[in-house]
This record gives sequence, C-alpha cells and structure tokens, in this order.
Amino acid sequence: MPAQLKADKNARLLQAMAEELKLPLLQIARQAELLQATPDKALLGSIETAASRAMWFVDSFLLSHQLSQQQSLILEPVTVSAALNDSAHMLDKLAKQYDSEIEVRLSGKYGPVMAHQEALRTAIVGLATTLITADSGEDCKRYVLAAHKSRGGVVTGVFCHNNTLSQSVFRQGKALYGQARQPLRNVTAHAGAGVFIADSLFTSMESRLRVARHHKLTGLAATLHPSYQLALV
Amino acid sequence: MAQVLLIEPDKILARSYVSGLEADGHIVHWCQKSETAIHAMDEHTIDLIIVELQLAEHNGVEFLHELRSYPEWDHIPVLLHSMLPKKQSGIDTFWHHFGIVGHLYKPQTTLAYLNQTVNRALLTTA
Repeated sequence: MPAQLKADKNARLLQAMAEELKLPLLQIARQAELLQATPDKALLGSIETAASRAMWFVDSFLLSHQLSQQQSLILEPVTVSAALNDSAHMLDKLAKQYDSEIEVRLSGKYGPVMAHQEALRTAIVGLATTLITADSGEDCKRYVLAAHKSRGGVVTGVFCHNNTLSQSVFRQGKALYGQARQPLRNVTAHAGAGVFIADSLFTSMESRLRVARHHKLTGLAATLHPSYQLALV
Repeated sequence: MAQVLLIEPDKILARSYVSGLEADGHIVHWCQKSETAIHAMDEHTIDLIIVELQLAEHNGVEFLHELRSYPEWDHIPVLLHSMLPKKQSGIDTFWHHFGIVGHLYKPQTTLAYLNQTVNRALLTTA
C-alpha cells in the first residue's frame, strides 16, 4: 500500500477511535458522579470495565498502526480455538455489563492458521466489542466467536442474530469511517471503531474482513489460510 | 415529579441517567431506539423527552419528525442530550418546529446539570 494511503487510513482510524473512546470515558465520568452520591460496588465494577475498554482501544490502535507500518508482516501458525477462547475471556465482563453472553463455537476439525496471534485476538475482541455495545435488542444477546472451514481456509469471526448487518452496510461503513460519526448507522449508534481496527488488522494479516454467515447467524469474519507447513509435520 | 422519556442508545449510560433522574423524583421510561420510543409515548403520559440524535437505524431527527406529526404530542418539550455538539448537529433549522427547549453536549453534561436543566424545562413549560 502506498505510504500516503497508509497515512490517510491511519488518520481515519485514529479519528474513529477518538470518537469511540468518548463512550467508555463518558460511562466512567457519569458512574463516578453517581458513586459520589451512592456507594455501590456494582458501579465500581462497571467503571473498571469501561476503563479497561478505553485502554484496549488505545492499545489496539497502536498495534494496528505498528503492523500497518511493516512492509510485510511475518505470520506464524496460530491455533484458532486458543485465540477465540482468549478473546472470549477478555470479553466476558463487557458482555455481562450489556446483559449478553459470549460463546465459542468451533465447527469441524482443522489445524493452525497463518496469522499474527496478538492481531487475531485483538481483531476478534474489536468486532465483538462493537457488536456488544451496539446492543441491537433482545434477539441479539448471544455473541458467538466462531470458526468453520471453507474452501479458502478457516472462516473466523463474530456472529449473532443481527439482521441489520449486510455487505452493503459494511461497505458503506468502510467508506465513511473517520469522516462520519456513525459510519455503521444501521448497526450501531457509535463510531464502530472496533470493526475498522479489526479490518485493518486482518488486512495486515493478508486477509479481508467481510459479512459472513455461521449457520443461522450473521457476523463479520475473515478467511485465514491454513498452515500447510505444520500439517505436513 | 414528572414522567420523562429518555432515548439513549447505550445501556450503561442509560442506567446512570435513569438513576440520576429518579434520584430527583422523576419517573423515567428508557428506550434505545426511535421505534420503541414511539411505542412508549403511546403507553405513558410523558411530560418531557430527552433524546440523543445519534441512534442506530432511525436517528433522533427522524424521531422528532414522527413525534411532531402527531398533534396530541406536539406540546411535549424535547431536550437534546447528544454526543453531537450543537454546531455540528444541524438542528438549528428545526429548533422551533420541533419544540426543542435545549441542547446539552453529553460529554460536558454532568448528571447534576442534566437534572437542573430538566427541572427548569418542566417549570417553564408547565
């Protein structure tokens, strides 16, 4: 990717992330104000989760920026199930705050994929964070971190019963993020930065984020190439 | 004591605003989306509406268009409480038409100031 294009993309990502950061910071500020009036341990837990999410956004942007600066990213064999389980663990508190559940679902057997472990985990957490905080109603309370085999490799992503997510909505969001405050307007009231950070990370891993299906669920996923090297061992 | 309809897309923020307003003696009906807010309007006698302009699917401006299309609700004051700064909201054009009594930029509005503004708006429009 030409340097100017990379710089533009990073600037847009920074803009989206700055916009997104307002939400956890605002949650912290308002809950802290409530806490002064009524000591409530549940509020402390919620503040901690919001602070962790804010820090996660900063770290994920830095990782995305750092990886996008590299000429070519060295990919390594990564076990998808481990990445999904780690991500689920990281998302547990956030999901509870939004009265949701996280489930890891692995369909079929497959070996490791070629990826960047930290980038894959961050991308999955980013996708799920955007979908969880979008909080699209009663039908969408279970978020499935899933992987299944396809012709091109292993489709890995986050899925739920969200009927507002489509390829055209995602395409439009990609064109608008960093310029519009609400690029995924049909999906979320927020900036959806987690999705665009994930998109950038999957691009760095030579893959492409897209709207995908997992059984009856809709979500965002990327196809990761199997690690043939290890399969031969 | 008044019945307040709060249209706020984020659940965590909504909990804080509901707690803050209830502590001031108001009954708060919280909705995440425009569609559910219209249903809530049907079910309750609302004295004041607090609305975020940035909502998923139908945004706050679309909600206000629909709200003001029903004559029985055209007197209910609306307070904008948004992530969008007033200058960037483009709401000036519709201000009087929508019966907006104020705009609060959410990141700079404390719960105390929100309560104060709500109470003032209720007194003025009573």
